[in-house]
Amino acid sequence: MKLEGTNTLAAPVETVWKTINDPEALRRCTPGLKELKEVAPDTYEATLVIGVAAVKGSYTGKLAITDKRAPTHYIISLEGSGGPGFMKGQGSVDLEPQGEGTLLRWTGDIQIGGLIAGVGQRMLGGVGKMLIGQFFKCLEQTLGGGGQGPGGNR
Amino acid sequence: MSGHRKVLSPMSTRYMGARIPRNEDPRLLQGRGLFVDDVRLPGMLHAALLRSPHAHARIRRIDVSRARAAPGVAAVYTHADLGPLGGPLPKLIPHPALVHHKTQYALAPDTVRYAGEPVAFVVAESRYAAEDVLDLITVDYDPLPVAATLEEATAAGAPLVHDDIGTNVAAHYTQRVGNVEQAFGAAPHRFRERLVIDRGASCPMETRGVVASWDPRTDRLEVWDSTQAPIPIRNGLAAMFGLLQQNVRVVAPDVGGGFGPKIMMFYPEEILVPLAAMRLGRPVKWIEDRRENFVATNQEREQIHDAEIAVDADGRILGVRTVFLYDAGAYIPYGLIVPIVAGTTLPGPYRIPHYHCEFAAVFTNKTTVSPYRGAGRPHGVFVMERLLDRVARELGLERTEVRRRNLIQPDEFPYDVGLVYQDNAPLRYDSGNYPACLDRALELIRYAEWPARQRAFRSQGRYLGLGVACYVEGTGIGPYEGCRITVEPSGKVCVATGVGTQGQGHMTSFAQIVADALGVTPRDVSVHTGDTGLFSWGTGTFASRAAVVAGNAVALAAQAVREKARVVAARLLEAPTAEIELSEGRVFVRGVPARSLSLGDVALAANPLRFAMPPEWDGPGLEAIRYFTPAQGTFSNGVHACVVEVDPDTGMLTVHQYLVVHDCGRVINPLILDGQIHGGVAQGLGGVFWEKLAYDAQAQPLSTTFMDYLVPTAAEVPSFEIEHVETPSPLNPLGVKGAGEAGVIPVAAAVAQAIEDALAPFGVRITEMPLSPNRLRQLLAEVRRTP
Repeated sequence: MKLEGTNTLAAPVETVWKTINDPEALRRCTPGLKELKEVAPDTYEATLVIGVAAVKGSYTGKLAITDKRAPTHYIISLEGSGGPGFMKGQGSVDLEPQGEGTLLRWTGDIQIGGLIAGVGQRMLGGVGKMLIGQFFKCLEQTLGGGGQGPGGNR
Repeated sequence: MSGHRKVLSPMSTRYMGARIPRNEDPRLLQGRGLFVDDVRLPGMLHAALLRSPHAHARIRRIDVSRARAAPGVAAVYTHADLGPLGGPLPKLIPHPALVHHKTQYALAPDTVRYAGEPVAFVVAESRYAAEDVLDLITVDYDPLPVAATLEEATAAGAPLVHDDIGTNVAAHYTQRVGNVEQAFGAAPHRFRERLVIDRGASCPMETRGVVASWDPRTDRLEVWDSTQAPIPIRNGLAAMFGLLQQNVRVVAPDVGGGFGPKIMMFYPEEILVPLAAMRLGRPVKWIEDRRENFVATNQEREQIHDAEIAVDADGRILGVRTVFLYDAGAYIPYGLIVPIVAGTTLPGPYRIPHYHCEFAAVFTNKTTVSPYRGAGRPHGVFVMERLLDRVARELGLERTEVRRRNLIQPDEFPYDVGLVYQDNAPLRYDSGNYPACLDRALELIRYAEWPARQRAFRSQGRYLGLGVACYVEGTGIGPYEGCRITVEPSGKVCVATGVGTQGQGHMTSFAQIVADALGVTPRDVSVHTGDTGLFSWGTGTFASRAAVVAGNAVALAAQAVREKARVVAARLLEAPTAEIELSEGRVFVRGVPARSLSLGDVALAANPLRFAMPPEWDGPGLEAIRYFTPAQGTFSNGVHACVVEVDPDTGMLTVHQYLVVHDCGRVINPLILDGQIHGGVAQGLGGVFWEKLAYDAQAQPLSTTFMDYLVPTAAEVPSFEIEHVETPSPLNPLGVKGAGEAGVIPVAAAVAQAIEDALAPFGVRITEMPLSPNRLRQLLAEVRRTP
């Protein structure tokens, strides 16, 4: 399941970069995140509680930030497993200045398996967009601004 | 009951062929059936399975410590806990061509090869507790690349489902008749098609289930199992657990649909549940839930055929060739039965002088495949009938005329096809009248008037099409089935046989056979199936064989009991045995009905408490055990015809009319036979348009609920017209042939032709099944783009 979108944030690139690298901001803005423990630089152990269709459950796994080119690009990957199966996602984030603010382009590729795949696959697109949307909404609230794409449209 | 009166005069003893209501129905319809989930034993525990969410992964580590410590948990097993039962499960049907006969494990040792493969087994005080505890097990998986499709699995450098064998091809097998190369070389016309059939599930109303109970004081293991083969399960359990077969009782009580996948021997749960019951000393129950049924119960139908036909200018077949891929799924316990049946069903009712059939059985990271109603027959018929439709179109011949020109004629039986069938015996058709079935089907569907009717619909902007397809169905293969018949002093007759029953109406059709022989009514005959404690020999209910193999064993045993009754009554009535007759529940001297005894009194007298027994009685009671051991199968045939309508805008398909002309030899009970065909056609229609097991690119099953996997309902399935032609089989005393799969076999072929006929103005070609509204719209869009 591939998703992509853009958001405009009312803060300069450097500020946005700092925020999306800040464990505290990630913890606050990642929907369903119950725990985020830094185990190495840019590597976290995460516990998420997410519901896809009728399948709600808890996933534990890793969140990692790689391919960093400060202050404009990184790859964020997340993998978790739990009772309802597993989910694996990878996304890229690219920042570019846009006037006073920042244009954030993101892409994501989500894979799920087990019960959530069998029961939740058809809902995944919608749920994925909603969760990513929540993430950026939270960033916007932190930094100010508005967006386009699934995040900004809601 | 009206059927009862209409067919039988009060004095008649002819129940064979009578449309009588089923003995089992009052009990089932009043909710008094006993299915595995109805078995509730004191102190019973409940099991749940942790299944792999990955289609292919290495298991690095399993941590069950939290699960074992959870309240209400009696046991948590992983592969490490299985001891001697940790090896690969039994290889069912070996074949010389099957070089990699891979079977799965009760619990995966180090690698999982399909999403749904069992990894851990939890036993707890309730199913709720067991399910919750599954969440406390942590499995560390290392995902591996996935071979999701036949194309992927056979591509160079494909991910290997079993890395130790260096290939995904489990078997490569070829059968040939004549010299196909020569025939094709000299043929004036040759046509090629690539034909694809996708996966489906059997969807029994009752999913699988097992209950086991162990008595350490008597060393007795009792197992209730929703299986089609209780006796082989009993034999296997005795061997695996080191028990006497005598001390293991396996009961397949009422089974809510079998359709093939319930004859696996063994599914992991059939070993794990008894193991837990023995270790824990308490009964254990596991009932498969619907989602498990979509991943853990065997599936079928995925094949890709590259087929070619050579014909002369008149459409006479010179040769046929098919090279196909058969998707075995992750393991191949059942061997090559499905692809062999596909290749040997393909020739059907047609004369094919030169034939080449070659297949590769291929592992993929999907649920294991084993026979599901049809078991390759629908594929063979789909390929053959699609080729003939192509011939008709290319040569400008009438489609039924092409078929008629190639039909085997009634005077050509026995007809040797020249192949080896699934029972390892020559494929030799015993009897049939193929032209008569085709003629009758065309008459019933008013084929001659079709062009005019179709024109009339088209002038109203409606796209209706007619399809006709022929098939031959191999049935009634050996090795044997048996039966014990006992007349009780009450006059009631007990029949015990080893074949299980999953809705086929054995309690009635077997009773009819016995009633005729013993001069009683079917209601006086109590048929017991599926309990190894009652009859100990048998192989199972599969391949449309119960009526043929068990039915004839019943007939032979009933004849023997009849003879015994005459011998005993001769002495009691002081008349020669030759003059003793049985009728209306009584045994009497011919022409002197007053000199008579009830059948029950004869049974009572045949079991004296004192004094010497006449030597000619050869033991007590009115009882006999007989076996029927056919040397080869018997071959049914039929023709399906249908009228469908396609809405080119929505892609929706409506089946307006569906009729079946069918010949399965002598009919025991037309009511039951009609029901068999109704169910088969409904399943066939499901596989044509509604039912599709979808997997994503990572072989994740996506259709694991009835919201995604659409089983046709009464709204989609039309009412059927069915007519029976009776060409008795010369191969068994009753003259019967099997009918269990007849309904499903040519449905895809007939509907494909009908859809092409309906959409003829657009030139849509159907080369795949199942279809869907979306797919039909795509096909329409493609032909509209390429004028």
